[in-house]
Amino acid sequence: MNKSWVFRYARLAVPLWAAVVACVASNASAEDVIRFGAPLPITGPLAPEAIKQQQGYDLWAEEANKAGGISVGGKKYKVEIVYADYQSNTPRAVQATEQMITQGNVNFMFGAFGSGAAKAASTVSEKYKVPTLAATASSVQVYDQGYKYLFGTFTPNDTLTTPLTQIIKAKVPEVKKVAILARNDLFPLAIAQEMEKSAKANGFDLVYFEKYAIGTLDHSAALSQIKSLAPQWIFVTGYINDLLLVRKQMVDQEMKAPVVTMIAGPAYQEFIESGGKTAENITSASWWHPAERYDGKDIFGSTENFVKLFKAKYKSEPDYGQASAALCGALFQMAIEKAGSLDRDKVRDELARLDAVTFFGPVRFGANGQINSLDPPVFQIQGAKPVVLFPEAIKQGDLKVGVN
Amino acid sequence: MHAAQILVNAVVLGCLYACIAIGFSLVWGVLNVINLIHGSFIVLGAYLAFGLYNALHISPWYSIAVAAPLFFVLGYLLQRLLLNRVITAPVLVTLTMTFGLDLILNNAMIYFFKADYRKLTLTPSLGSVSIFDVVVPVDRLIATVAALALTGLLYLLLRRSRVGRAIVAVRLDRDAAVLMGVDVKSIYAIAFGLGAALAGCAGVLMALIFPISPLTSSGYLGKAFVVCVLGGLGSVSGALAGGLLLALVEGIGSTFFGPAHATTLSFILLIIFLILRPQGLLGRKGFE
Repeated sequence: MNKSWVFRYARLAVPLWAAVVACVASNASAEDVIRFGAPLPITGPLAPEAIKQQQGYDLWAEEANKAGGISVGGKKYKVEIVYADYQSNTPRAVQATEQMITQGNVNFMFGAFGSGAAKAASTVSEKYKVPTLAATASSVQVYDQGYKYLFGTFTPNDTLTTPLTQIIKAKVPEVKKVAILARNDLFPLAIAQEMEKSAKANGFDLVYFEKYAIGTLDHSAALSQIKSLAPQWIFVTGYINDLLLVRKQMVDQEMKAPVVTMIAGPAYQEFIESGGKTAENITSASWWHPAERYDGKDIFGSTENFVKLFKAKYKSEPDYGQASAALCGALFQMAIEKAGSLDRDKVRDELARLDAVTFFGPVRFGANGQINSLDPPVFQIQGAKPVVLFPEAIKQGDLKVGVN
Repeated sequence: MHAAQILVNAVVLGCLYACIAIGFSLVWGVLNVINLIHGSFIVLGAYLAFGLYNALHISPWYSIAVAAPLFFVLGYLLQRLLLNRVITAPVLVTLTMTFGLDLILNNAMIYFFKADYRKLTLTPSLGSVSIFDVVVPVDRLIATVAALALTGLLYLLLRRSRVGRAIVAVRLDRDAAVLMGVDVKSIYAIAFGLGAALAGCAGVLMALIFPISPLTSSGYLGKAFVVCVLGGLGSVSGALAGGLLLALVEGIGSTFFGPAHATTLSFILLIIFLILRPQGLLGRKGFE
């Protein structure tokens, strides 16, 4: 009888004990991990952009963990990135951010994709005082809210359009008339509006400025109208699918111009591959380019090393979105290691004080949290490769006139 | 001349819209099923053309001959094995089922093909033809002719063939068709198979014109829906009329009010039709 009681208790006690041990072990391991929340549009129309950002974060996490993790006060912490899919739906990005902070036990946050979602989600991270690094938010409106915990690695939109306008004005004096066609979305429209200001300030005649709806399947009517106005510079904004479609329909309608600029598709390898010959001589600008050469103090070290690691992992050339995401991780690592603590306020202060050269370029944040230390490159597709035209320090070639 | 260009653009685009919508209209009209998987079938057809051209150098014109039977079998089996089980249930049930199937197919395409945008680029390019300064791209022109041919073939099939007459009979009066000895289950499956085949062929043609990605399926589905409401359900000529009307409104709206408002205008037109002429341009009133 006694034996059977002992046996029964033992049978109960063993799994209970195992559960307690597992719980203690998981708590112990949770303490040795720094969790970074990353709300991304993993499904839906913005999925290609999310995949790029995810690649950047994953590469950084892998490199950080390979080196033993992030060093905090002499102890190494592993990096864990917690992803949440907000299905390309901005209100869900806000919900996902709140859930990660309140239930997901994340220590720090990465911003949602693009300016619109990053701005919306930043209201939550600011409320909970969680330092947030936005990898793909460039519009000044994201940073003019007086927030203290939000930082971004993209310079304002005018840093892309101003050098471009000055190059065209200096090198192609026959360009007088400019036509702008913009995707009716926060970032593409903001870039187009900056271009409008820049064109007017430099004495160009703006003959056309129209927006097209998100998901537009056919641009032939707008392009016919632009063709009838005979502009010498056609400036189109949108994402890769929009720009591939516009470019194809421009060729279909036999539209030619000395200068055609597209933002943001040409920075991606898919644009060059899918566009083929029609991508030739298209100008663009982005926040980073693999041709840059910086010797950084971050985990990746030099730009060349970052490109090498990226190519080894993903078998493709990195673009500015992937690089910026990896940079955000590297910056968090620098700030945490300098703070020597996981205290959110201390890490926030270190981010605000940061002044260092990285593989992405020199990083210093302005009072509003937006980076103000970079000269984004202007480039042109030449011979199926992006060739940097500006800044002078990393220039690879001269502007070629004529897009057929 | 600018007006002539806009008109030509609209006619070409209208035929492509009709091609997108014709299979959707057939399934909705005959089975009373709002087939939400239609957009994903179109995208799958586009991937088929892309794959055959890039891997085996098979021209998209020949890919139509591969897509049609392949998608017919796919649609036939899908209807016979899954949809047929709920075909008599209220429309919401079939709607939910096609919604679920669409999610599965679309996510499978994202998994296998990735969400990246691809482009089928013919080498050498077909170029454009120019008549009195009105430019028409040859690939669009051929796609338009192919779209018209497919529409015409479906029209002939429905009018002249025994199966076609059975489909029309089931569409007009299911019970009477049963009494006349029509195997309704089989006709439903054939109609769904035909709808899928038309979607697959439309996808092959669209691959020549639009970038390919699983994410574009909702755009095609939306256009098909609007075209069906404007043109009228279950009618081949209705899909053509609806496609042309939609393209004209978008083209003219884009020119006069800006491209951002073209979609708004087309949906305003949709609402007007739903209120004033719910049967569409060529549809029959009261038909469910």
